[in-house]
Amino acid sequence: MNLERVSNEEKLGLCRKYYLGGYAFLPFLWLVNVVWFFQEAFIKPAYTEQLQIKAYVKWSGLGLAIWVAVLTTWITIYQHYRAQWGEVGDYLSFTIPLGIP
Amino acid sequence: MTTSDSEEDSYDERSALMSAETPPVPSYQPEQSDPDPSAQGPVLRRAKSSERGPGPEAELDEEEELTLKYGAKHVIMLFIPVTLCMVVVVATIKSIGFYTEKTNQRLIYTPFSEDEVSVGRRLLNSFLNSIVMISVIVVMTIFLVMLYKYRCYKFIHGWLILSSLMLLFWFSYLYLGELFKNYNLAMDFPTVGVLIWNFGAVGMICIHWKGPLQLQQAYLIIISALMALVFIKYLPEWSTWVILGAISIYDLVAVLSPKGPLRMLVETAQERNEPIFPALIYSSGMAWMVGMANPAEERRQQSDAEAQEAGGSLEAEDSPDPSAGAQRGCPSGEDQEEESGVKLGLGDFIFYSVLVGKAAATGGDWNTTLACFVAILIGLCLTLLLLAIFKKALPALPISIAFGLVFYFSTDYLVQPFMDNLATNQYYI
Repeated sequence: MNLERVSNEEKLGLCRKYYLGGYAFLPFLWLVNVVWFFQEAFIKPAYTEQLQIKAYVKWSGLGLAIWVAVLTTWITIYQHYRAQWGEVGDYLSFTIPLGIP
Repeated sequence: MTTSDSEEDSYDERSALMSAETPPVPSYQPEQSDPDPSAQGPVLRRAKSSERGPGPEAELDEEEELTLKYGAKHVIMLFIPVTLCMVVVVATIKSIGFYTEKTNQRLIYTPFSEDEVSVGRRLLNSFLNSIVMISVIVVMTIFLVMLYKYRCYKFIHGWLILSSLMLLFWFSYLYLGELFKNYNLAMDFPTVGVLIWNFGAVGMICIHWKGPLQLQQAYLIIISALMALVFIKYLPEWSTWVILGAISIYDLVAVLSPKGPLRMLVETAQERNEPIFPALIYSSGMAWMVGMANPAEERRQQSDAEAQEAGGSLEAEDSPDPSAGAQRGCPSGEDQEEESGVKLGLGDFIFYSVLVGKAAATGGDWNTTLACFVAILIGLCLTLLLLAIFKKALPALPISIAFGLVFYFSTDYLVQPFMDNLATNQYYI
């Protein structure tokens, strides 16, 4: 859909729904929210709903940053210590590489 | 607005290509009401064009000229997603062995095995397979058209949602697994869970509800590629080619003949002034031409009828419902805002990718793949040209698939050995 053709109230509603949806373990949704509404929130000239949209975009960005940090930490830990964890490591693994590292 | 909110998979049966019509927009009037300089112009141009026949450069009336001008842009707008889809499929086929491994599993739609000794028997089996598959597709399409005619929208939506759920979650999970195995990477369940959940949920939102246009297009391309990969893996070799041919013929019949199911679908949608389930159609970008009114206040629903594609989703092992791909351009509306964009059914994407992917998997080398790729793009170009001329829903499969098949077999069996011989004997032409 094209944001140009949509009224400001609808834009606000959409931004809000994307923000709320991201709480369901959906950082990707927050990313889409930030990217999609970035221009609306920060670059366009001001209009009534813009303040709220800005707030939603900022909170989405914050949530996204937290998720990225958590995921990166977890992935680093997992990749580094997987072999040492023995059985637990295998249990957690979706794919196990073959061969000798 | 024709936001594609609907389900994606609509491959098979019909691919109708519908042109976006050039609206006689107020903004064009200044050009059209240019009396003197162009007075002799149109006459000359018309004379010229009648000699040359319709073509992209043919200069017919102002309106038709505008339509054809749109044609060139729309061709590019469709080339890019079709190319992307095919690139994804070919890249996967060439790098991940899983999709070209021989498997004894077959879809229930191709019950006849191809492990026969004699050529005749194998050919017979592939024809029988294609008959089974096409009849399943026909039945499903008619079922969908009936549902649509009797306004069982909930059922259709549920069906489409289920099929896109399966595609977005299950197939992408399998694909991800094969990808990691291929590159020998370790991956843990929690991360994979988060990845697939995010991919699938955002995909459902973008396709069935509202989302950024580019993201929606990207998702439609990805699911077409996934579907094409499933087909390439599970359809036996000879059956694939026969099915491709048969489905192009069916597409032709279904879209163009007066009693064809796809045509009925299109007409019903037009009568009711409703958009076709957007999840089954890929809509290339939109150019909004705003007339006098303020768009925010007078946003009206598109009065353009859009072709709806009947489609079902195909499930690999259980009971796939073939989905039809219909392609439709959206005719321009009369009022303030018009959307001009060509729409192509997802079925078309899928079958184009199946052809090129199969060529990459079983053909000689890159010559064959590239030849098929070029053939399909040429076919698409011609189809869009016809679309600009006829301005109604057209099947997008026949021309491209016909060219693709011809190019595949001729390259594989004629050009390839020829080039190899030339290279071996160091003879340069």
